[in-house]
Amino acid sequence: MKKILILIIFASTLLSLNACKKFSEGETNDEELITTLQLNFTIPGSSSTQSFKFEDLDGPGGNAPVIEPIVLAAGTTYDVSLEVWNKAANPPENITTEIEEENASHRFYYSPSVGSNIVVSNLNNDDNAVPLGTTSTWQVGTASTGNISITLRHYPGTPPDKQISDPVNSPKSGTDIEVTFNYTIQ
Amino acid sequence: MKALLFALLLLISYTGFSQQCNITLQGHIEDPDTREMLSAATVLILELNKQVTTDARGNFEFKDLCPGNYSLQISHTGCKTIIEKISLTKSRHIDVDMPHEKNTLTEVTISSNKGNKNTGTKKELSGKELEKTKGQSLAEVLSRLNGVTLLQTGSTVSKPVIHGLHGSRILTINNDVRQEGQQWGNEHAPEIDPFIAGKLEVIKGVDELKYGSDAIGGVILVEPRPLLNHAGYRAEINTGYFTNNRQWIASAMYEAQPEKLHEFSFRIQGTYKRGANARTAHYRLNNTGSEEKNFSLAAGWKKHSFATELFYSFFDTRLGIFEGAHIGNRTYFDSAIANNRPDPVFTGENTYQIGRPYQKVQHHLLKSKTSYKSGKNKFALQLSLQKNYREEFDIVRNSNNYKPQHNLAITTLSQELSWEHKQNAQLTHLIAANTMQQDNRYAGRYFIPAYRAYYFGGYYIGKYSKNKWELQAGARYDNKNIYTNRILQSGEVFDEYGFNFSTFATSANASFKIMQGLKTNINIGLSSRAPQANELLSNGIHHGTSTFEVGNIHLKTEKAVNINWGAAWNIASGKLSAELNLYRNQIDNFIYQQPIANEPVQTISGIYLLNIYQQNNVRLQGIDFSATWWPFEKLDWQLNYSMLRAKNIDSSDWLIRMPADRIGNMLSYHFKDEKKWNGSYITFEYNYVFKQTRTPDETFVKHDYKAAPNAYGLINVDAGTTIQIQNVPVSISLGIRNLLNKAYRDYLNSMRYFADETGRNFQLRIKIPFQSKQIKE
Repeated sequence: MKKILILIIFASTLLSLNACKKFSEGETNDEELITTLQLNFTIPGSSSTQSFKFEDLDGPGGNAPVIEPIVLAAGTTYDVSLEVWNKAANPPENITTEIEEENASHRFYYSPSVGSNIVVSNLNNDDNAVPLGTTSTWQVGTASTGNISITLRHYPGTPPDKQISDPVNSPKSGTDIEVTFNYTIQ
Repeated sequence: MKALLFALLLLISYTGFSQQCNITLQGHIEDPDTREMLSAATVLILELNKQVTTDARGNFEFKDLCPGNYSLQISHTGCKTIIEKISLTKSRHIDVDMPHEKNTLTEVTISSNKGNKNTGTKKELSGKELEKTKGQSLAEVLSRLNGVTLLQTGSTVSKPVIHGLHGSRILTINNDVRQEGQQWGNEHAPEIDPFIAGKLEVIKGVDELKYGSDAIGGVILVEPRPLLNHAGYRAEINTGYFTNNRQWIASAMYEAQPEKLHEFSFRIQGTYKRGANARTAHYRLNNTGSEEKNFSLAAGWKKHSFATELFYSFFDTRLGIFEGAHIGNRTYFDSAIANNRPDPVFTGENTYQIGRPYQKVQHHLLKSKTSYKSGKNKFALQLSLQKNYREEFDIVRNSNNYKPQHNLAITTLSQELSWEHKQNAQLTHLIAANTMQQDNRYAGRYFIPAYRAYYFGGYYIGKYSKNKWELQAGARYDNKNIYTNRILQSGEVFDEYGFNFSTFATSANASFKIMQGLKTNINIGLSSRAPQANELLSNGIHHGTSTFEVGNIHLKTEKAVNINWGAAWNIASGKLSAELNLYRNQIDNFIYQQPIANEPVQTISGIYLLNIYQQNNVRLQGIDFSATWWPFEKLDWQLNYSMLRAKNIDSSDWLIRMPADRIGNMLSYHFKDEKKWNGSYITFEYNYVFKQTRTPDETFVKHDYKAAPNAYGLINVDAGTTIQIQNVPVSISLGIRNLLNKAYRDYLNSMRYFADETGRNFQLRIKIPFQSKQIKE
């Protein structure tokens, strides 16, 4: 009889140990969630900034994301910086700083549509002199319309083995952000 | 004490005659009713503690015995253990009739057109067949049964499929308890250690009603061996090594009944398993390692008509997910599946290390069962508690993040009270009521909501047998209440739904012995399954297929009418036996996922294909056939064939992801027993799986991402023997899976979009049993 008791005590201790793993029911806290990609355009020497964003506050599914069309002035060169946010977190989480901290394992790619009047260059580099792309320079040509895709790739490997020659679809990296903005040059 | 003296006396007589100890005792065991030759029956000479098992034809042999009087204890699953007294003066042959127990409802045993107990259709795996599979997952072990196939996600995650159905349409019963884990997902394997099982069974028919009204596809029973019913101890050590993924296993079991406390019996059992990355024919897949730690405790108390048993098991696993299959959005999915082999970035590492993405799953089961017999009545109370934790670790942006991105915890309590009444020799009734409470929580990425569910139900089963007839019938009612909610970070209630489902099931079975050796069985059943929480309320990205899954709160209950007809035939000479089973399962409101090609889901990480849940009427029908032929004493050839046709009746189109037809061939040669070597065998297996040509029409609607893979045939070889090492019968076996190292893909493995199946695998297994000398009658 004693042995049964010992077994019962043993089993219930195991179960109660596990009960420590508690979390409240139905808590959505996707810390990997990205809600917002914002582009800030400044003309060098000027202090005014124009911003356009892709925003999906409730995350994937649910309400459709808001994609603001980019409107730029013809024949202008802009300094562009990116901001990445999780605005579903409270307070909102600035993911840009996280990306900059781990710059050797992140990379932004800019792909204007075929025949586009936009040339993106001068991407900032990571610590290993490989493009990171949180800042860039956009040279805008004559009035036209088109679209531009912006992709954030993330290298999960240790070390990340990020190379200048890596294409946007490199199997070494995975997609965190892939959005397409429509633009109008006027 | 008397028995001990008796044994001592025998021991003395044994030594006295030792000069003429060259007598051979041969025997044959069969069921007198069906003439079924009983294989894997154990025959134990109590006085000598010498044990052998019968071969496939029910024969056994003891060599080098001394003259004297012996007691043979003969046991076989489903039969009452019998003791035969024999007297030996010279070599002789005996025939033993071993009738199967009839009409015992309480023992979870099922029977069949095979001639076991009074039930419906049953397929079982035990003894040597089960031992050949040690080290494999539960689903892989079950797939050795004709009609059972695998639904896989890579080499580490596999789920059993019975006659085309899987997931929540199959109930898995672990030691009498309905397994309540995360069985709804395709990449969620059953959380059970196969080493616990002494026997694995797949049943269809009236006995399904004991476990639920929703067993549309059937019931899988995982049954531990009964606890020791005599004083002494038994222990067993199992080890194994698989070369393909350098997997090694160690499992140990110890059971005992104290000499001074015959009412008490217990068992401790544990398993550790670890595998490195698996290799296909041409390349090794990164991050496909796994690690498993399991243990269980069982204790029983039996006195007169009172019996109680306590069981606890713990299952813990960590499984790597092949990174090349963990694709983001559509753009990259399409290009990844267009390749014939994965990019070199995802192949070639040979390591035990598991990185992201991976899963970590734990399952606890605590069960108590108490029964009391009084005359013709037997009452039983069963209580159980299950806790299931699942953590999914995705690839994350921040390398300092060690948290899981998806975290689920399910707690299930269940209670059942049953009353069995034996009215007379022919008729038995079983009536039971049960309740169950379930709580599901999650943290992290949303996929299914938190919910609380309350169930209650009851069933009746009656069994009647007379002369050549065995009849059973039963009915069951279940009621299920689900309360769900999904709360956003701010604490705001996002949505809240309550559901109530009533389900009803009924089943009737008749089997008839047409003549000696020929038996037929027919079963008609109605079962219904309420939609699961994920089918109603899932909402999220599925990384393995780049889809966005959306549940449907308007889903109705699935209703299935299942007709099963079977016949079993054994010819009198014992040289040929065959079994045929035809089935037809018509399911109304069958719930399935349908991709919607023209409504892509736009997210910040790109475009995903929308998958919604919808319902149609479907029909699954098929044939399972198996035959065994013994052209010579030592040689047998086994043939298996299974075929399934699954159609969506509404669209008159084929159903997606249904197992292709297959043929299995197994040629076994059993060597003559030598002094130190016995039970030696060699088996060649050739299994051929046809190409699945019956897939949904892709002309107008997109259903699949890649065409079904080609047919394939695999050769497996197994050889084994039992060697007496200092009176310990050590079993050693060597198996080679996929002997020719064939590169192939299987239609039911979601990895087929990206990579081949595993290549050649040498498997070495060693079993060392120990037992106490004193075994009492």
